[in-house]
Amino acid sequence: MQAFERELLTLLPRLRRFARALAYDAADADDLLQVALERALKAREQWAPGTRLDAWMMRIVRNCWIDEVRSRARRARTFAPEEDGEMVGVDMLDQIEAKAEMHAVDRAMASLTPEQREVIALVLVEGLAYREAAELLDIPMGTLTSRLTRGRQALVQLLEAA
Amino acid sequence: MMAIDDDMLMAFVDGELDDIGRARVERAVAQDPALRRRLEEQQRLRDRLSAHYGPIAEEEVPERFRSMLETNVLPFPAAPPRPARPLWQTLTALAATLVLGLLVGRTLLAPAPAAGPFAVEGGAMVARGDLAEALETQLASAQAQGAATRIGVTFVHNDGRTCRTFDSQAAAGIACRTGADWQVLMTAAGSGPQRSDYRQAGSENLLVQQAAQEMMAGEPHDDAAERRARDSGWRSSTPRR
Repeated sequence: MQAFERELLTLLPRLRRFARALAYDAADADDLLQVALERALKAREQWAPGTRLDAWMMRIVRNCWIDEVRSRARRARTFAPEEDGEMVGVDMLDQIEAKAEMHAVDRAMASLTPEQREVIALVLVEGLAYREAAELLDIPMGTLTSRLTRGRQALVQLLEAA
Repeated sequence: MMAIDDDMLMAFVDGELDDIGRARVERAVAQDPALRRRLEEQQRLRDRLSAHYGPIAEEEVPERFRSMLETNVLPFPAAPPRPARPLWQTLTALAATLVLGLLVGRTLLAPAPAAGPFAVEGGAMVARGDLAEALETQLASAQAQGAATRIGVTFVHNDGRTCRTFDSQAAAGIACRTGADWQVLMTAAGSGPQRSDYRQAGSENLLVQQAAQEMMAGEPHDDAAERRARDSGWRSSTPRR
């Protein structure tokens, strides 16, 4: 096995945790990780040996998740207007049931905006420094800290109320 | 006394404040029960998140992920299939390398050979100065953030020599240990001014990587093999094919 795969293998537990924080559902998180790994293996030439593979990989996981969120939004827009009747009803019930079974932390994470969730995942779950997280997401420090603050306030409210 | 806003309180919890900032928050918390409650709230949140997410990283990783990585590398030792490249492309690439070589020779060798990264010894181009130093001592697994020269992969050449790819502001390339020198087998344009750690490698590195793959016998060294190779003075091994 080459150094690339070997290092990736040691990162898998952390990447799974990161995916779980982004996707807030165990099965979705593993699907996300699979898609991200496929993308990473195809793009391995773009990784510069000697640079941090963990940051490179987390960026791929995050980008794959954004793609997934966008395509879910597209699907929702396509189906919603025509199927105002029973389909939506069934779907809603499913969602409510699923939410009741979810762990409180997953449920709280699910109610954040995607932007808040990703900064919480990087800083509070993965323990990246602010500067590292801002660089990974390509956003200014001020944007990072304000998302972090708002996301946290929302989480505190949701979790302390429960 | 300056009020402690939420951003500052959270930076405190995240360990992002300097000594002065930390002391200021600690003093304010000691004097202000409302602020202390907010701080405790944030600490509870951190505890809750790590209680939830910590065990996920401890779980056994599902087999499907491990096997994705393991099957992916099987084709490698058995010579990876390479797309046939039209002759004109090869010629263009060769011409480009030649021009580059001339440029490198002109700009880096001519004025003061002792000061540049390359010199010509007995008809071969060899590494000198900082580049030679980096090739000789630097481990890819442990290089300083701002190192002037970055070492990429270390591998055994088809002819048995130990070779390493390098990249710096001025030039990237491949050098192989020959006697007491590092003979430079190819050069390409360097990556320019120090790039950020997370940015991906440019196409110039791809050229070097491809050339390295062509020369390589077996797999590139992993961290441990790289260290062993260095500690044994970059000895050559018997040619494999």
